[in-house]
Amino acid sequence: MSDALLLNVVLWLPVAGMLALPLLPRGNDAAVRVLTLLVVALEFVIAAWLFARFDGAVPGLQAETRVDWIRAWGVHYRIGLDGVNVLLVTLTAFLGPLVVAGSFTAVQREVRLFHGMLLFIQFTMLGTLLAQDLFLFYVFWEAMLIPMFLIIGIWGGERRIYATLKFVLYTAFGSILMLAALIYLVYTMPWHGGVPSFAFEYLYAHPPSAAVQNWLFAAFALSFAIKVPIVPLHTWLPDAHVEAPTAGSVILAGVLLKMGTYGFMKLGIPLFPAAARFFTPAMMTLAVISILYGACLALVQTDIKKIIAYSSISHLGYVMLGLASASLLGIQGAILQMVSHGLVAGGLFLMIGMIYERCHTRDLAAYGGLAKLLPAYSVFFMLLTLAAVGLPTTSGFAGEFMVLLGAFDTAWPLYQQGHPAALVLAASAVLGVVLGAWYMLWFAERFLFGAARAPHQPLADLGRRERLILAAIVLAVFAIGLYPEPLLQKTELAARQYQGLLLGGSAEVHP
Amino acid sequence: MSWQTILTAMLPEHLLLAGIVALLLLGIGAPRSRGAAALAIGAAIASALAALWLHASGYSGAPFAGQYAIGPATSLAKFLLLALAVPVLLLSRQEFAGPRYYVLMLGSLYGACLMPSSMSFLTLFLGLELLSLPVYVLVLLAFQRPECAEAALKYLVLGGTATATFLFGTAFLYGATGTLGIEAFASAFWSGHPLALTGAALIVAALFLKAAVVPLHAWAPDAYEAASVPVTAYMATVVKAAVLLAALRIIVGTPVAAMIALLPLVSIAWGNLAAIRQTSFRRMIAYSSIAHAGYLFFAFLGAGPTRYQAVMFYLATYGVMTLLAFAALPGGGDDVADDRLDGFKGLFHRRPYAALAIAAAMLSLAGLPPLPGFVAKFLVFRNALAAGHTTWAVLGLVASYLGLYFYLRVIQFMFMADPAPDAGSGRGRRLAWLAGALCLVPAIVFAVFPGWLLDRL
Repeated sequence: MSDALLLNVVLWLPVAGMLALPLLPRGNDAAVRVLTLLVVALEFVIAAWLFARFDGAVPGLQAETRVDWIRAWGVHYRIGLDGVNVLLVTLTAFLGPLVVAGSFTAVQREVRLFHGMLLFIQFTMLGTLLAQDLFLFYVFWEAMLIPMFLIIGIWGGERRIYATLKFVLYTAFGSILMLAALIYLVYTMPWHGGVPSFAFEYLYAHPPSAAVQNWLFAAFALSFAIKVPIVPLHTWLPDAHVEAPTAGSVILAGVLLKMGTYGFMKLGIPLFPAAARFFTPAMMTLAVISILYGACLALVQTDIKKIIAYSSISHLGYVMLGLASASLLGIQGAILQMVSHGLVAGGLFLMIGMIYERCHTRDLAAYGGLAKLLPAYSVFFMLLTLAAVGLPTTSGFAGEFMVLLGAFDTAWPLYQQGHPAALVLAASAVLGVVLGAWYMLWFAERFLFGAARAPHQPLADLGRRERLILAAIVLAVFAIGLYPEPLLQKTELAARQYQGLLLGGSAEVHP
Repeated sequence: MSWQTILTAMLPEHLLLAGIVALLLLGIGAPRSRGAAALAIGAAIASALAALWLHASGYSGAPFAGQYAIGPATSLAKFLLLALAVPVLLLSRQEFAGPRYYVLMLGSLYGACLMPSSMSFLTLFLGLELLSLPVYVLVLLAFQRPECAEAALKYLVLGGTATATFLFGTAFLYGATGTLGIEAFASAFWSGHPLALTGAALIVAALFLKAAVVPLHAWAPDAYEAASVPVTAYMATVVKAAVLLAALRIIVGTPVAAMIALLPLVSIAWGNLAAIRQTSFRRMIAYSSIAHAGYLFFAFLGAGPTRYQAVMFYLATYGVMTLLAFAALPGGGDDVADDRLDGFKGLFHRRPYAALAIAAAMLSLAGLPPLPGFVAKFLVFRNALAAGHTTWAVLGLVASYLGLYFYLRVIQFMFMADPAPDAGSGRGRRLAWLAGALCLVPAIVFAVFPGWLLDRL
């Protein structure tokens, strides 16, 4: 089969699975779980194959499909892989089976609907990443809310209704302004043959005038910033993360948050390069504030899920910092950090889910010395903690380090020209690393070491299924940390093009 | 005027008339017969198919010159009205099996059919009255609670006011321009004559009252709540669509929409906000329909030819999705049980497919992709933006955001709440399933291939 066909299979396989679920016999939850797992596993295999075949040296889209969808509006069904989305698509497909397998015992209510929604959100996330048409992108982007609304709202914790409504209403507000901006963008630019075009390619080549760009960028950026989330638009995140079931938290941290930073890379910056340059100082400042503020809040939490939730804000601040730094290292580091955070935070949320299944509390004070009670669990937890801290040889190190180098790369010449602000920001970001090590290690110390105590004893250590899931994640984390070269190769060309846009280079070449 | 033209051009109306006559005969001959429903549904389907055939064959003709004319576009509009009526008739309960209910329904449909094809205010007035009068009775037919009488009276009085306002406006227009033709509105508007402008304003007010646009909306929640389920569905879809299609004919070629865009905007915002506090499903749908009337009048902001497309697409998706929700109601057609939003609690556990259908309808009405309501909303706001009404469009979109919460609340009740202890285990009736399926098929087509429909509008 051709690559383009395979990519379509990756995208539509979850829908096929979703439609097959109602056909399974009533009450047979095991069949539902196995079918879903098979679907997402097959999807990952195909995605991994496409990832391996992706050639980083070729500019433009690969495995592209382009079909007219709404001809009168210039809307296409157009999907494809490029240097930015190829990693995130693979990450999404990788986390899919882990999420399904991780919920085998955790979800016992409405099993069929739950798995249907997992497949639905997989479909919409992959669609958002693969879309190469603004209309299609928006459809997927907004549709992501529906399964997440149900996942948090039905299978979530005590305050799930509040959390899920807050999540949806927050994100939808950003989207509505983005919708206004995208209609304005498409319908005010020169049309080609009497029909407007929503194709990214076409829109990249026709940036609007500078005055309009700032407004449109602001609308798009607001929507993306809510999703990332960037402080001060982050208040939905702790609630959503804490109340979501494990699967929901993993999807949120693993992929959904990256949609915001991906949006900046794929749309915000290339569609409005002049505005992106104009807003770069503001973006850098907010990114650093997010890093520090998230880290400080993580430091004082007593709910173990909240610690990881706030650490996500901090870690995504690095992504934003790398993107805004406009240096090749920074941009590549940002992409790597997205993948790394997806793996590490996803893994940590899975682990918190596992302990919650055993003890039914997320209060940190209830735990201690788990290293003695749950040796295997503690080993995995410590490995992921070290990756979150950014220890060399883990993926977290590669990403964070490159972002910081990139930030200094940009800040140093500015300092020499007499603008110290950027250097202050870069230095503060380093402070974030220190804070990050502090809250994570302190958390691990209280959680894993000291006098052994847990709300329920005796505790069963990790089963085979759980070990397999975590081993896959840890393996990926170290593989990327030790040898990030293949990933960097695939993203380098795309990163260069973004850099060109941010530095005010030609807008001709596009990812 | 030839007999042949009259026969062909008014074929949908003739079929409805034949249905009415047959129902009346049935009422005399066998008043307890159960065949009335089948007869009425058959007449509506035949009439809808006739309209579709007229559209497909591209027929245009004017059997009564200056009063009544049809073209492919009006035939399609008629098809829409008649097609929306079919699920409504399917939803009608067995208690109504008596022919009088169906006579009134078909009579009202006859009026609805007249409206898109009228060329003069006289025909339009005839259509409007024929549309409304049976509905006043239909609202009362479900006389179960004391407040129904009050609501029906309110509806009658306000409907009468709308009619009077409309006639008053027509009289002014006639005085100023000397013609009853529908184009008098546009010429009156451009003439700037105070008398003519007063007439135009009165006609717009009457349309707003009929379509339930703020501040002329107050009757809708009471009337919707008091009426039985199918009548509410009828008012929310067919009646609203007929009024909007009439407005489309009248306001064409004038910038009236831009001058009064504030009212639809307030309508969207107020409808969406007031819906949040409702505990009755039909009241909530009433406020939702007030908001949707606002969206529909926003569609008038677009440039000339795009209006028809936007209004038609919007009416089709809005109508289909609203009817889908009505077809899947938890009480299985029981007016009182279906009315409480509390009755929706835990519906997914009892009837998962009904809950999923209502959820799809709510998300579509909220305008979330990938549901068809998103394409409709996109079309409306695209037209407004493309015509240069940036501020209005942005404000309208923000106002539409306000509606998200109450639609999600219904889903929250169905999926995330435990069922109320006294929740009946209402089952869907077979005909309601059929009505739901009839709505679901076009809904899927509109969502997946919106271009297919757009190319035909």
